Amino acid sequence: MRGAAVRTRPIVGAKRPRGLLRHLFLLAGVVVSLFPFYWMIVMATNTTSAIYRYPPTLTIGSELWTNIAHVFEKIPFFAAMGNTIVVAVSTTVLVLFFDSLAAFTFAKFEFPGRRALFGLLIAMFMLPAQLSLIPQFLVMVQFGWAGQLQALIVPAAANAFGIFWMRQYITGAVPDELLDAARLDGCGFFRQYWHVALPVIRPGLAFLGIYTFIMAWNDYVWPLIVLVDPDRLTLQVALSQLNRSYGQDYSMIMAGALLSVLPLVIMFTVFARGFIADAVKGAVRG
Amino acid sequence: MDPDTDVRRVPGSRRIRSYWPQYLAISPFFLIFAVFGLFPVLFSLYLAFHRWDGFGEMEFVGLQQFRYVLDDGTFWLSMRNTFIIWVISTVPMLAMALVIAAMLNSTKRFSAFYRVAYFIPNITSLVAVAIFFGAVFSTNFGLVNAVLQAVGLPTGRWLTDPLGMKIAVATVMTWQWTGYNAIIYLAGMQTIPSDVYEAAKIDGAGPVQTFFRITIPMLRPIILFTVIVSTVSGLQSFTEPQVLFGTNTTLNPNTGGPGQGALTMVLYFYHQAFDNRDFGYGAAIAWVVFAVIALFAAINWRLVQRREK
Amino acid sequence: MELSRRRILRLGMLGMAGAALGGTASCSTSASGGSSAGGNALDLWYWADGLSKKVVDEAITRFTEVELKPQQIGGNFKEKLVTTMSSGGEFIPDITGIKGEDFASFTPQSDRFLNLLDLGAGSIADQYLPWKWKKGMTKDGKLIGFPIDIGPTAMFYRRDVFAEAGLPSEPAAVAAQMSTWEDYFAAGVELKKARADAFMISETWAVFNLIVGQGTARYVDENERFIGDQDHIRRAWDLATSTIALGINAKSQANTPDWNAGLTSGSLSTLTGAAWAAIDIKSAAAGTAGKWGVAAGPGGAANIGGSFLAIPKECAKPDVAFKIISWILSPENQARGFTDSALFPSTPATYTAPALTAPDPFFGGQITTEVFGPSAEKIPVQYESPNDQAVSAPFQTELTNVESSGKDPNAAWADAVAEAKKIGQRLGLS
Repeated sequence: MRGAAVRTRPIVGAKRPRGLLRHLFLLAGVVVSLFPFYWMIVMATNTTSAIYRYPPTLTIGSELWTNIAHVFEKIPFFAAMGNTIVVAVSTTVLVLFFDSLAAFTFAKFEFPGRRALFGLLIAMFMLPAQLSLIPQFLVMVQFGWAGQLQALIVPAAANAFGIFWMRQYITGAVPDELLDAARLDGCGFFRQYWHVALPVIRPGLAFLGIYTFIMAWNDYVWPLIVLVDPDRLTLQVALSQLNRSYGQDYSMIMAGALLSVLPLVIMFTVFARGFIADAVKGAVRG
Repeated sequence: MDPDTDVRRVPGSRRIRSYWPQYLAISPFFLIFAVFGLFPVLFSLYLAFHRWDGFGEMEFVGLQQFRYVLDDGTFWLSMRNTFIIWVISTVPMLAMALVIAAMLNSTKRFSAFYRVAYFIPNITSLVAVAIFFGAVFSTNFGLVNAVLQAVGLPTGRWLTDPLGMKIAVATVMTWQWTGYNAIIYLAGMQTIPSDVYEAAKIDGAGPVQTFFRITIPMLRPIILFTVIVSTVSGLQSFTEPQVLFGTNTTLNPNTGGPGQGALTMVLYFYHQAFDNRDFGYGAAIAWVVFAVIALFAAINWRLVQRREK
Repeated sequence: MELSRRRILRLGMLGMAGAALGGTASCSTSASGGSSAGGNALDLWYWADGLSKKVVDEAITRFTEVELKPQQIGGNFKEKLVTTMSSGGEFIPDITGIKGEDFASFTPQSDRFLNLLDLGAGSIADQYLPWKWKKGMTKDGKLIGFPIDIGPTAMFYRRDVFAEAGLPSEPAAVAAQMSTWEDYFAAGVELKKARADAFMISETWAVFNLIVGQGTARYVDENERFIGDQDHIRRAWDLATSTIALGINAKSQANTPDWNAGLTSGSLSTLTGAAWAAIDIKSAAAGTAGKWGVAAGPGGAANIGGSFLAIPKECAKPDVAFKIISWILSPENQARGFTDSALFPSTPATYTAPALTAPDPFFGGQITTEVFGPSAEKIPVQYESPNDQAVSAPFQTELTNVESSGKDPNAAWADAVAEAKKIGQRLGLS
């Protein structure tokens, strides 16, 4: 029914212009997407007054090292980055495992309370996060976790967003026949997850992984509250100390912001390709 | 869709015990929620029936805070603002994301480059984004007005006019999240077996028909996901109006800019709770916001699900 | 209070998470030594450039009887402070900064802070501006905020634009001709005649807020009665909105590209604001160095901004903490605060220090303290209610409605008053 035959005129030729048009369209989108990032680089490499000038400076300047030096002078940049890496990596690993396992269960198995539990999960997703700041801090103080990195990692180790995403993804990506076959071969629940589902859901996991990593990397509101030890801060918390009360030094702030996202760009560039290529193979194999 | 659909609703401990792998598999989320999430939720519900300034005495006021919320014109204004911003950002965002994803899916060359490029808005510093779009929409020197003037259209005061402000906020949100949604769709499209496309091609379907007759129906679970997520996050929008309009003044920040044209529901909650330290009132607002979002997400869920049949 | 909240917490956790969790909680509660390692540490919270970092660093080596641990807090300072104080525990700093605009909202919980008069603050009171000192006090006479900096206001103006328009360009003459708001607006009309794109006023709210600041009463009186509908506020409203009808209002909000461009081109030819606004002007319009002047502003003096240091009651060593505060904020060190972090001193004796009497080339070689110093001493004592900010919000909103949507000022006034009364009622004002 879905792939029903659609009878229309066959389209002849015109392959090349269409490909070209497509690239032109995509490139236009790329320019729009990248320009503010480029402008961030412009700001980070100029002085703050050059940013304010009218007409605005649009070319890369020569102040980058000065601005970066100011950042290093004011905040413990690399120590903070180390902490951020610990938080982002452990959160991502835990989320990938817990979320995909729970999602696989919700997508492919029936068990008492399934709908109610899934509904609860989605409902939690709808509460404004800022609502929990004070009580969550109280909890962490009680646990003796205030100021510790696990206060960032453990509460984020499984989340409704990721479970919802993987559930939807698995619904389409893992054919029921495959699971039935595995069951006939005597595969239990966990082996079905590990040997049947995991290989085919790599693209979904890749997205979840990158997204989780970025969110953990850029998280700001909660770390700002819970990290009470000045010697143990994450990058975004440290960077927020560059804001002054009177008169911002935007070029320094941008230099800090640029340094902090470079690892994300590199990670994304390296992994985006590998993940997807693998995944396509996996899907074909499945 | 579900292999074990023959489950009957017979609650029996033996039955339940036989599902232990399933319960174990979903337990991490619910355990973490029970430890770290449930208390904050109950606490905030408790707060909504009190007056509290963050560290003085709590004073029980019954349903009064909720009565104030329903009678608060500014809250209703914030709800109207939120919905307008949501509509003019989410609709173009998801539509464009689908088109971009379809194009990326049929492109081999540069595809890794495109994927990275389209994700960049998600990691661009929000301060930079705010300054940049502030300049783009500026009245006398902005790009938007320059273009409008060049083609002979009337210019606007994008950062002070109530509708203009909403358009500015929606533009930032669309810019930031279109690529992200496209990557989601792209991931979903990779699960559509290529022989389905082959069959369509043999039947003579063009790219447009293939898109509407194959890609969209088969992507439905993913589309449902993006619709629900953008409903929830769109109705909770907070950061974009805050950075675009929140920092102009030291007195009364986070009030949503000129004429409160960009005051969203969550921004209003934040303003009451953290600027005015009226935590009881803030909690009451947040729970009303929750109810609105839950209702609206449920409606959207139904809409997308029904079309599935 | 804290006890009862903690009880709720225990109750919640017990009920939800069962025995395993209870075990975790109790085990870590007993183990929690907190961040203040050693028990001799004194945590000091401030924000970037909220104090001179050099002075703070020197304080570490100077007061060796404790281990002073300064920490710069980024982001929303008040949010962090309130959240931490609501936990009622060990993470509360021993000394904390409080921003001037937030200070009044802390006074109802004055028992959460130490009365600095008990620690000997009375003996150095005469070194500080009396109005600022009073601002750090509660209604019942406890001093909980120790003065850091202040934000005395004046008028920044473009000498070159004034001269071209035939207006006086020397500070004394400018101040003399534009001593009242009416005269200032009249000069704006004249300026507009001479140069069509020149505006005297940047935005309505800035004028309104400044006029309110120049009075002795704000929106709420000392008996917590709403008085925002009275003549002193109405006068500020009428004056501020009249600039729109006069056509001398550029309607451009601070720190936007239009504002920056206006300052550079001279179309925004004056700016009324606090001393620290000079930093914004300098970075927004770096190319105009030497063309600016500072004169006593129309309508008198006011304060915008400024900040305080306070000692929460959990402080481990109040005497040492107070010694450190009074040293960091002594008249000599306030001069360093001005040099390092542009903090305008709250100690009048500092106004004659070399750091403050250097000519500023950006302002045509003017010694700006000669304007801001006298302004600082003339600032009126005002009662600022804890609810002041909340009830002022509708006035701000409605002024922007008048400014950007052309709403009728009288209708906007009625709406602002009605909304402010409603907010006041919710907050328990009479």
